[in-house]
Amino acid sequence: MKPKTADRIATIVFWLLGGITVGVLLFIILQIFGRGLLTALNPKFLLGKPEAMKEGGGIFPMIISSLYLTGLTLLIALPVSLGAAIYLAEYSREGRVTGAIRFCVDSLAGLPSIVFGIFGMTLFVIYFGWGYSLIAGAFTCAILNLPTLMRSSEESIRSVPGTYREASFSLGATRWTTVRQVVLPSATPGILAGTMLTIGRILGESAAIVYTAGLFVRKAPTSPMDTAAPLASYIWYAQTEALIPDFRRVVDGGAAFLLLLVLLMNFLARRLARYYQRKKLAGGADG
Amino acid sequence: MVDETPIDDTKTRISEYSRRCADSFTRETRMEEPTKESEPRITTDSLSMSYGEFKALEDITVQVPRRSITAIIGPSGCGKSSLLRCFNRMNDLVEGCRVTGEVKLDGEDIYAPGYDVIQLRRTVGMVFQRPNPFPKTVYDNVAYGPRLSGVKDKERLNRVVEESLKKAALWEEVKGKLKGSAMNLSGGQQQRLCIARVLAVEPEVILLDEPCSALDPVATQRVEDLLAELKERYTMVIVTHNMQQAARVSDFTAFVMIENQGEPGKVVEFGDTNHMFTNPVDERTERYITGRFG
Repeated sequence: MKPKTADRIATIVFWLLGGITVGVLLFIILQIFGRGLLTALNPKFLLGKPEAMKEGGGIFPMIISSLYLTGLTLLIALPVSLGAAIYLAEYSREGRVTGAIRFCVDSLAGLPSIVFGIFGMTLFVIYFGWGYSLIAGAFTCAILNLPTLMRSSEESIRSVPGTYREASFSLGATRWTTVRQVVLPSATPGILAGTMLTIGRILGESAAIVYTAGLFVRKAPTSPMDTAAPLASYIWYAQTEALIPDFRRVVDGGAAFLLLLVLLMNFLARRLARYYQRKKLAGGADG
Repeated sequence: MVDETPIDDTKTRISEYSRRCADSFTRETRMEEPTKESEPRITTDSLSMSYGEFKALEDITVQVPRRSITAIIGPSGCGKSSLLRCFNRMNDLVEGCRVTGEVKLDGEDIYAPGYDVIQLRRTVGMVFQRPNPFPKTVYDNVAYGPRLSGVKDKERLNRVVEESLKKAALWEEVKGKLKGSAMNLSGGQQQRLCIARVLAVEPEVILLDEPCSALDPVATQRVEDLLAELKERYTMVIVTHNMQQAARVSDFTAFVMIENQGEPGKVVEFGDTNHMFTNPVDERTERYITGRFG
């Protein structure tokens, strides 16, 4: 075959494969929005109380549960993963310890989330006696998302040019000062983008939540010890149990709203990254 | 370029540079006081350095005199940058790097256990091959060092920033955009900013690692002029692959080279630049400076 022909065929094949990916995604988005967008944009549905056996229930406590859970999870996962990422990227010398850490992290990342759910239930809900609660769900979700959050932070830190570090050290800065003043400000866009994607994952997580945080509540949770029903786990519950007469409406509406939230998060992630990039170029990453 | 130039022509040009250097050298020696001033600032004694199994430098013994510019020249990969980085222990940051022998700053062994590396790097500043300002404002770049040593007072910082930028001959060009990003400056301006950033720490020695290799001839000229001015107050060591530059700016020269592939770099000749460029002792030095290899 002539190289030119081969090139043309390759172009067509890759174009097709790319097109299939985009097509499938578009199809899913259109399906979900087509079924539930109208419900999802209805204030009565969004701000209403859920019903267990009657029609016309809303999802307000579920939205609050989701946001609450996301916040708590980040509060736990961010400091730990950022600390570990800084250690791996800046402090550790490559060796057996870092190898072991990476192996553990990568293994964790490969586990299905239901395993984390069962683990969280055993440890936090039963052994610690926290019951179905936001805090148990948040710890479980934090462990689940630790690997990806840590790896994306580590990558962002590693991608900061070594010349910045050299410059800082040569001016008599300690490692910690260099990390704080030069490395972290430059790595912030990447870390933020990784965090936003993680938020999307937490919002969409159900398997790790149903046995730890809960799946049905009437009232929005206030204390971290309260039982909660994050949207994703409530959708799972409504669909599986089918006790609500209009469960299709609730499930479709909930799914559409969830999709909206996740799309919004990803959109924000991109915007934030771009904003920081511009700010960095315009000077004063720290001010 | 050098390879195509007839040897005679190169020699004439070199001797002309040397005369200029000799002038500045006599001016320097006149300034020297007989006491501590005449002692070298940095001395090395049988310094060897290796990266893991690979030995990069062996048996280096040189002396860097005060208030003068010492050039380290040699072909690519001969270890001149590695040698420079022994003087402020920047090699510490490279994994598997080992240094044996002695490096003394003002008579004190900087590789002695417990030696304060942070203080060393404040005394011995460094300018790198590629301009590497932080992605911060011009002001914050220069203020970085003073802030590290705890200077918080706004007025004092302003003064240090202005003085350092003036010393680096950059003030007039950037005084209106101190709050703008350093990334928006030209390459030459960025390199002078890096010099200002070093000066703000008030070092005594400045190491320059091929500071002009990423700059155009005009920017190079400005940096070289600046070095000539700074010589009055600082001890400088410059690594350069450009022999004309070494001849133009330096008072003393160390010629480093590798005999055979895989062997460590050694100092072939060390001495007065003027002398070395007009009357090299070693045959290899002569071949190198006349452009016959490297």
